[in-house]
Amino acid sequence: MPENTQSPYSPEVLARIASLKIRALNLVEGLLSGQHRSRHKGSSVEFAEYKDYTPGDEIRHIDWKVVGKTDKYHVKQFEQSTNLKATILLDASGSMGYLSPESGGRPAKMDYAKTLVASLACLLLRQFDAVGLTAFNDHVVNHIPPRSKASHLQHILHGLATLEPEGITRLGTVIGNMVERLPGRGLLILVSDLLSPHDDELKRNLKLLCSRGLEVILFHILDPDELTLPFDGDIVFESLEDDPPVGLDPEDIREEYQKLLQGQIETWKRDMPGQGVDYVFLETTTPLEQGLSYYLLKRNSLIK
Amino acid sequence: MSLNFLSPVYLFGLLGIAVPVLIHLLTRRQQKTIRFSAVHLLRQSQKRSVRRSAPNRLLLLLVRCLGVALLSLALASPIFSRDAGDDLIGAGPRAVAFVLDDSYSMSWKAGERTVFPHAVDTLLREVAALPAGSAYSIVLASSPARILLDWTGETAQAGRLLKTASPSHRSTRINEALEKAVALLEAAPLKNRHLRLLSDMDKNGWTGEPFSKTMDRIPARVKLIDFSGLRTGTNLVALAGVEVRQEFLTHSRVVRVNARVANLTANEPLNRLRIELWLGEKKQTEGFIDVPPGGEAEKTFSFPLEGSDPIDGRVTLADDSLAADNTRYFTFQPDRNIRVLVVDGDPKTVAHQSETFYLENALNPFSVALSNIEPTVSTLSELANRNLFDYSVVLICNVREFPVGYELELEKFVMQGGALFISLGDQVAAKYYNERLGNLLPVTLNALQQSGPGDKPFRLKVVGNEHPVLAIFKPKEIEEMEDIRFRSLYTVLPREGAAMETALSFQNKIPAVIESTIGRGKVLLYVTSIDRDWNDFPIQPTFLPWVQRWIKYSARSLESLLRQDLTVGAPFSWSEDRSWVRTAGGRLHPMRPGNEGFTFEDTNAPGVYRLYRMASDEDAQRLEAQAAKRPLIELPANAKPRGAFTVNVDLKESAPGRMHPEDLKERFPGFSFQWTTPQENERGLQAQGFPLATPLLLLMAGFLLFEGWMVRRE
Repeated sequence: MPENTQSPYSPEVLARIASLKIRALNLVEGLLSGQHRSRHKGSSVEFAEYKDYTPGDEIRHIDWKVVGKTDKYHVKQFEQSTNLKATILLDASGSMGYLSPESGGRPAKMDYAKTLVASLACLLLRQFDAVGLTAFNDHVVNHIPPRSKASHLQHILHGLATLEPEGITRLGTVIGNMVERLPGRGLLILVSDLLSPHDDELKRNLKLLCSRGLEVILFHILDPDELTLPFDGDIVFESLEDDPPVGLDPEDIREEYQKLLQGQIETWKRDMPGQGVDYVFLETTTPLEQGLSYYLLKRNSLIK
Repeated sequence: MSLNFLSPVYLFGLLGIAVPVLIHLLTRRQQKTIRFSAVHLLRQSQKRSVRRSAPNRLLLLLVRCLGVALLSLALASPIFSRDAGDDLIGAGPRAVAFVLDDSYSMSWKAGERTVFPHAVDTLLREVAALPAGSAYSIVLASSPARILLDWTGETAQAGRLLKTASPSHRSTRINEALEKAVALLEAAPLKNRHLRLLSDMDKNGWTGEPFSKTMDRIPARVKLIDFSGLRTGTNLVALAGVEVRQEFLTHSRVVRVNARVANLTANEPLNRLRIELWLGEKKQTEGFIDVPPGGEAEKTFSFPLEGSDPIDGRVTLADDSLAADNTRYFTFQPDRNIRVLVVDGDPKTVAHQSETFYLENALNPFSVALSNIEPTVSTLSELANRNLFDYSVVLICNVREFPVGYELELEKFVMQGGALFISLGDQVAAKYYNERLGNLLPVTLNALQQSGPGDKPFRLKVVGNEHPVLAIFKPKEIEEMEDIRFRSLYTVLPREGAAMETALSFQNKIPAVIESTIGRGKVLLYVTSIDRDWNDFPIQPTFLPWVQRWIKYSARSLESLLRQDLTVGAPFSWSEDRSWVRTAGGRLHPMRPGNEGFTFEDTNAPGVYRLYRMASDEDAQRLEAQAAKRPLIELPANAKPRGAFTVNVDLKESAPGRMHPEDLKERFPGFSFQWTTPQENERGLQAQGFPLATPLLLLMAGFLLFEGWMVRRE
């Protein structure tokens, strides 16, 4: 974990947390808050069905009114509202720190991702789900285990606020290492720009996670600059990670570049659903509500 | 290995590389740096992409720089040579004297060019192939042979001198050139001495005796590079001569130009060969002529004479392989009106019995406009009313004696440029002439010689007389003149210390016409009568031109006809100071004091040269000062034309025939010439050095094509 020279509660961090929280809450407010329903029956306030009393059942669950009417012991059964364990994996590699030289007011990729993560965390915690955050580049740089307490949001927000994009991306390796540590069932949300030359390993590991019963949502975030390469003139491109710089006229390769990137996106779009991964592509110009709505819609459809 | 340049000055052209660099820098876009996330994708795209303009621009710059550099290098004429050495004369620094034939036979066609540029190229390649530390000199072999370049080690100097050179219009003088080359070699700065002769081996250049002496002094073998093999076509014809004369006995003023055309081939008759007459820049007429093999034919053009302006012209033949001898220039000065005062010392009431009857008719047979002589006959008594200075020539015919003191006026008249023609007769008082006309006549009248009825009459001796007055007479006319019988004449005795010349004499060596120059004028004494009293000459057909020409000669109007045929390079001499010559090219040059009066030597180009005399010494000095600063073309308004002369090529050079190795062996027994052709010599040189100009130019063309392709692609 890189050394963080900032105090965990320095004014800058607090300010960032506040702004993140405001943004996240603003986003979450107004969105329909859904519930996670479980197929498992358990203690809850919502009645599911009656069953004959068998020894071992809790006596307090016997419906005495039914006993009075039927003289049989019936036990009330309720829908069990389980707490979902959601882990958000946030790519904190250098490439996520891309800021367009002519951004025109649009958010930096990392800010966009942080806001997305904060909003998702907020949303999940509101539903009393446990949310954890793992930030990584070529290794895990910050890990906040899943908790469902409302106050846990503060931890996540703090984790996000202190996160700086750096280092190189090793998505596949990192997720491969985490497979064993992740809960057997739950939700895995991966937020990344997927700008890693080694995506076969990632795909393999995602498939493995899905096969273990994890629901995986992959948020693919890119800046429009990365999609269109809108630059002109002789430019030396220095890598935000460890690639050697390359000098060229973007006009010469623009077409080829766009084709290459679109090809990759198309591959993700095509391959991921087949492996049980929900793939959501987001440009930083796309309103975050759109991403969140997609998530809620997806959740609802899964429940029904 | 070494790389030499024939014209290293062109290497400054390498600075031109700065131009594409500047263009590149000025048009270069500002390079920016952007921190970007997907650099590995950019790299992948770059590998896949066909378009790569940034490296292309660098490549373009490189190609353009190379193009400029190659052009500059090619112009510098690089010669690449290995240290293998000279297979012919040994390696190491050497002193080489080059004798370059620049006679007009070197202007013989050789494909698209003439022979001369090939010889120049060969010489430059030889110079470039000289090992480091060598010295060379160049002698030009046309007449008169001259040193073009004294010993130098700078290879570029030959290129500078010869790149724009062209063959002269002179003939070859190999012996003189070798003489100069040998003198140079004797003073050469190096011991290893060589002589190379580049010539078409025209036979004309190998005449003359000093050869053998020269050959003894040549320190090394002579390499002869014979360029005659490069000649294309045959030199078919040459204009052997052009004569111009004005017809006297016609009713209109007609000039006849007679051109002699020589067929230089031994057995090829030339039929319907085109021949043209040009006056100035206008073609006057043209015709056709047939010339037998090895022979000559004549063509006469006639054209009416309009006005009295000088006529400059040329006769040209249809082009053949050697154009220089197909043109011949001529000039003609139509006679000016000469006012002549004829003093009749024996007038008669019957016209034909007068002393001057025949003379007057001969001088002006039809009208003034035709003969250009305007005679005024006067008796002695009328002389007082005549102003001598109104006339150019005064003819004294059979005058006994002049009025008192009149001889002094005559002396003054002659001293200031007038001409006096005195003919004798029965009225002449010899004593008066001898005593009173001592300043005018260089001779005294000795005795009256008469041939009796049985005696052999006196006859003129005209054959072999080269006096300009007699130059126009043909052999038959000369024969007629020599047949004229003279019955009486005065013998003369020269006065002591008097300068005189016998212009014409009788066959018994008695002078007939005595010529002397007094001051700026001329005095001619004709020792017999000008009428029929003492001879039959006045009724002979030749009398008219004879007497007219004497008058014109004495009035100096014949001067312009005197020097018709100077060959190129021959000096022109003239007696008057302040004389300037306008060359065929239009430039004015002063005549310099020489052995015979004043001389003009710059007769390098064929054409018509005009002679002028400046009005005053101040004018002449001012003009000389101007000429020292810049080429002079404009003539002062008050300069007086004094005549013209033509300069033509020496036809000996165009005569067929060339020297062969056998001829040289025979001519110079025991001397070893290394005879080679340009092609063989080139192969020998390539063993030492290879000219890189053409490959570099080809390479440059390739680069330009590539550059064009790249620009178009971008």
